[in-house]
Amino acid sequence: MGLITEKLPKMMAGMPGSDIIFTRMDAVINWARANSLWPLTFGTSCCAIEMMMAPGASRHDLARFGAEVARPSPRQADMLILAGTIVKRMAPRLRTLYEQMPEPRYVIATGACTISGGPFIYHSYSTVRGADTIIPVDVYVPGCPPRPEGLLYGLLTLQKMIRSGETVREPGIRHKPVTSETPEGITIEDIKSEMLALLEKDAVVDVRKAAEQMERPTGI
Amino acid sequence: MESEELFQYIASLEAAARPSEKPSDLPTIEVPPEHFLSLMQQLREDPRLYFNMLQVHTAVDWVKKGIFELLYQLYSTKDRQSLRVLVELPRENPVIASVCSIWRIAEWQEREVYDFFGVLYEGHPDLRRLFLEDDWKGFPMRKDYEDDFMLEPGQ
Ligand code: SF4
Repeated sequence: MGLITEKLPKMMAGMPGSDIIFTRMDAVINWARANSLWPLTFGTSCCAIEMMMAPGASRHDLARFGAEVARPSPRQADMLILAGTIVKRMAPRLRTLYEQMPEPRYVIATGACTISGGPFIYHSYSTVRGADTIIPVDVYVPGCPPRPEGLLYGLLTLQKMIRSGETVREPGIRHKPVTSETPEGITIEDIKSEMLALLEKDAVVDVRKAAEQMERPTGI
Repeated sequence: MESEELFQYIASLEAAARPSEKPSDLPTIEVPPEHFLSLMQQLREDPRLYFNMLQVHTAVDWVKKGIFELLYQLYSTKDRQSLRVLVELPRENPVIASVCSIWRIAEWQEREVYDFFGVLYEGHPDLRRLFLEDDWKGFPMRKDYEDDFMLEPGQ
């Protein structure tokens, strides 16, 4: 892999047709990466129980998506599921674990605690307010704790991101999933009224007109 | 032993110990700090009591009353008997005798209480912080603790 992902792009840069080859290669490499994510066994509090439910228990079974091989060593893992409150004392250790993981590495933050500090945001002397102040996060899964389905959906989002994302030409540069942010100058009311109009347009059918437009079956 | 019998027996050993009025699920006694160590020694060594296990040690900060209430929960593996011992300390000068020499496990439990409440233990072999960084200022489980990192709602 090192040869393909590191040496080859430099050797082939500028060759005629190399773009097509790279695009094909990216598709294969990203497909492989997306379907064999190895999570690091890392859980710091209650969300960790849900995290254990998702890959470990038979009902939810993360193995269906190729991400069940939880590794106790960061050097063998490429996905970090942040499950649980991160405290100040833990923060430097978390950073170390992240840096020990080989590239490309992906981070899913599950639960309110890792997203923002969650229930401990006020009056807490110890809780870090958001794990993304320590390490870069790829996918956020909200909830307190998120249901295992939520975590599965987060994993699928990550896979989608990996498949559409990185190219061997620019390692480390990724396309992020677009956040559902309201564009400037548009209010929630506009969106609501537009959706209502769309709904009416799609849901109201003029039966007579439709019948007239329909082709008459012949031979009856 | 029934709790009444237990209280009477403990009172015969150490007159200063009296049953607690506070609502509790376990037999509870209160003792003033000056009689604390000798009482604990007897609870451990008396053949009829034989509390050989210190299950829990923690503190409660009653900031309005100006006291720390120390809680020791003992257990006898021989009789399957539990006992809770409460000691009240003044908040300004929280010093109490260490029970490390009686139960070895008290060493870490006392370090934890020191870490979070700042209670000082006389005779503790190694009274350092346990959970927080060594250079931490203050004792965060005290109700009046504040630092720059903490947020108030609305901030
Ligand atoms: S988000 Fe909720 S469930 Fe998850 S670690 Fe925080 S408090 Fe626990």
